[in-house]
Amino acid sequence: MISSRFSKVISWAYLIALYGFIFLPVIVLVLFSFQDGRLPVPPFNGATLKWYGEVFADNRLMAALGNSLMVAIGSSLVACVLGFCAAYGLARFVLPASRLQRGILIAPMTVSYLIIALGLLSTFNWIGISLSLWTVGIGHVVINLPLCFAIIYASMGDHQKNIERAARDLGAKEWQVMTQVTAPMLMPSILAAFFLSVTFSWDEFIIAFLLSRFDVTLPVEIWSLLRSGLNPKTNAIGSVVFLFSIALLLVLELLVFRRTAKK
Amino acid sequence: MAAASLEDQENRKAWGFVTPALLWTICFFVIPFIVMTAISLATRTGREIVMAWNFDNYITFFEKAHLLKGLFVSLEITFTVTIISILLAYPLAWIIAERVPQKWQRMALILAVLPFWTSYVVRSYSWLLVLAKNGVINNTLIWIGVIAEPLEMASTRSATIIGFVHFFVMLLTLTIYANLVQMPPNYRRAAADLGANGFQVFWHIVLPLTLPGIMVGAFLTFVLCIGDYITPQILGGNNELALPQIIMLQLGRRADFPMAATLSIVLMGAVTLAYIACARWLKMERT
Amino acid sequence: MFRHVSTGITRKKLLTGAATIIVGAVAVATQPNPAQATEELNALVWCDHTDPALLAPFEEKYDVKVNLKEYEGTGAGLSIIEQSRPGDWDVFVIDGVDVHRAVDMGLLAEIPADALPTSDIFPEVVMAENNVVDGKTYAVTEKFGYNTISFDKTKVDPKDMEDMSVIWSDKYTGRIAVYDYYLPVIGLVGLGLGIDTADLGTDDMPAIKEKLFAMKKVAKQVGEVVSSQTALATGEVDILVGGGEWITAVLSEDKPNLDWIIPKQGALRWAQSIGVMKDSAKPDLALKFVQYILSPEGQSKLATSSCYWGMPANAKAGEHLNDAQKAALRWNDQAGYLKNSQLYPIPDENLDAQMQDAWVEMLQQ
Repeated sequence: MISSRFSKVISWAYLIALYGFIFLPVIVLVLFSFQDGRLPVPPFNGATLKWYGEVFADNRLMAALGNSLMVAIGSSLVACVLGFCAAYGLARFVLPASRLQRGILIAPMTVSYLIIALGLLSTFNWIGISLSLWTVGIGHVVINLPLCFAIIYASMGDHQKNIERAARDLGAKEWQVMTQVTAPMLMPSILAAFFLSVTFSWDEFIIAFLLSRFDVTLPVEIWSLLRSGLNPKTNAIGSVVFLFSIALLLVLELLVFRRTAKK
Repeated sequence: MAAASLEDQENRKAWGFVTPALLWTICFFVIPFIVMTAISLATRTGREIVMAWNFDNYITFFEKAHLLKGLFVSLEITFTVTIISILLAYPLAWIIAERVPQKWQRMALILAVLPFWTSYVVRSYSWLLVLAKNGVINNTLIWIGVIAEPLEMASTRSATIIGFVHFFVMLLTLTIYANLVQMPPNYRRAAADLGANGFQVFWHIVLPLTLPGIMVGAFLTFVLCIGDYITPQILGGNNELALPQIIMLQLGRRADFPMAATLSIVLMGAVTLAYIACARWLKMERT
Repeated sequence: MFRHVSTGITRKKLLTGAATIIVGAVAVATQPNPAQATEELNALVWCDHTDPALLAPFEEKYDVKVNLKEYEGTGAGLSIIEQSRPGDWDVFVIDGVDVHRAVDMGLLAEIPADALPTSDIFPEVVMAENNVVDGKTYAVTEKFGYNTISFDKTKVDPKDMEDMSVIWSDKYTGRIAVYDYYLPVIGLVGLGLGIDTADLGTDDMPAIKEKLFAMKKVAKQVGEVVSSQTALATGEVDILVGGGEWITAVLSEDKPNLDWIIPKQGALRWAQSIGVMKDSAKPDLALKFVQYILSPEGQSKLATSSCYWGMPANAKAGEHLNDAQKAALRWNDQAGYLKNSQLYPIPDENLDAQMQDAWVEMLQQ
């Protein structure tokens, strides 16, 4: 066998190298968001907070940020509720062609976002529905529903079935069983599905780009920012989004998952 | 009779739960897909879209070399990205699972996927700045003295691939790690007890057990990579066009919905083939 | 991140946690926008109109929110209109040479001649033959500039730039970027071959295609406004085909070395026109917007808008521009430039398709 010390050194070197690769663009992004000057490339001219000021003063960017939050949370809620109900129906009842039904529900996961967006765009045009944040939301539910369904369906085990049966025997109605027994038991996976959906919707570009008109989400606004001039403002908004997401992640970690894990 | 009606009631309830999600998927996924397929059989004359119900667009796609090349560009990029990403991510996931102390593993994993949360559009743009002629990499290399002239990295296929690999290494590390830790440790111990060396244990036990997970990850990479517009558009410098870029050109420049739909169906076909290949391969592995 | 957790959870804490986040997010999302206005105006524009500094004075004065959708290229703009319902759009910004197309499609409304400051507009860019149909004015020129050759004067020999053929010669291989808009660049290549844009026809396409491919061979990249700017500014390339003051002026402070020239074969002149949509439900407000854009104040802000700069059509805008801005726009050299430049080619449906095909083919080389 190769000396274990040698392989250990190699392992750590590899680890550090790959972390370097993974973090390189992030570090450069954040560093040059403080660039004093218009060009976010070396040499670094010195630090300024000017670009952050511009980001927060930019109404369109801030509006887009709000839109993104609204779409992400709204579409994720819908996707979670629909996904949970479908998982409940398919896991607890015997339905004809349940394999086919599961297949249909999962199908959007195997299709590129671009194709989903294009299909919806053609259909909306054909029916005459104008594009808005609503159409973006519809698209985001389409991509997140399979995810929510799969996560929640996978966590519906048999041991919960018995508890549900007990509740039913005690006279609970079906909707009561579902909302007061099943949902709380599955809360960790429901939350996981929810936050994963929020992340995907928050960062999704092509559907939001093709299905929106005046009110746009953040990635689309960043895209037009990118097309309208090179400056460190793009770095600044990128850094803000990053820090914001990290903060949210931390809050979740401390508030929700850590706590649930300890119990 | 009473039993039947009870069953009926049960059934109705069950449908009540499943129907909303099914309806959503059918209305906003299945039907749009059918509409798109129909539109791909139409032609655009002037600015009108006429339902011609023929395969002219598909014929055009195969006749025009610059369109067909888009498919090959996409496939080449996607295959390269998938393979490089797996080769880079597997060792990383393995080191995190095996070498990093248990209590730090979670931290190491979160750290490895942290850049996920920079906006996706910004991430590609950031790579552009890193790879530019006077970007960070070239500056550093020249400063160290490794190279005298800046390397031409931005606006090339390599740049596109680097941007993609960065994203998918994070994704695959996560999935492969999940696979590695699920593997019961006694399998390996048993093999080692039977006299297998480290490499043999890896080759005969660990790798086969994690392969299904890798295949799932690879398929996910394939789907996401081949359909992506942003990364090649920002990093590729338009020196060659991937299929999604051509689709967006059809939409943005000429509003040629039929051609865009046709190209999308072709893209979809490529993904389906990849899916069948993965599924078949997995089935073969299992039996 | 999502560790598998036991089901024995404190539901309440979970829910409060989630609820806090949701409430916070919704609070942020629904925060009253400072620009919350009573009326809205929808405009289909080129990206220079999206600069908040340009819109703010109008929005404040009339208590209106201007909704903008940007597009690039007349074909894309017209298709957006066709996918919309009548009345969706109030204002339309379009390439001056394409006003006739829009009028023929019945998109634009007549503008009363006395509503426009026609006498203040540089006579060369009034372009009545484009903006006026059958004696009725349908649009008005708002901004113009040139698609020509931009370069870094410290890195290339400015003498070389005087001949259009430099864009496909191999002297600067790998140091050339091409602006990704087929009309002006094909027009430039045509000029290089001695074909006037007005005469460009399908017969010329094979020769143009050949030169396009030759140009692609020596080019480093083909990109839109920003990636072209980035490439020039970061030294990725030293020459930009299709560039002009619109791309260098905005960088003039940080990159004084950037210059542009009109080669001896001439260059292309772009001109944007703005008009009111025929089906607009708010024609008065739309006209007021057009008037604001044409006013000296609006013109100066449009000229120096963040997406790209360009000469204002209204000569009086000069009063609102400082000397540095005027210098970057080359205010005083316009007479010579105007003489040496030609308008964009105006392809018919068939030629347009051929041009676009040639363009994609070139990209795919």
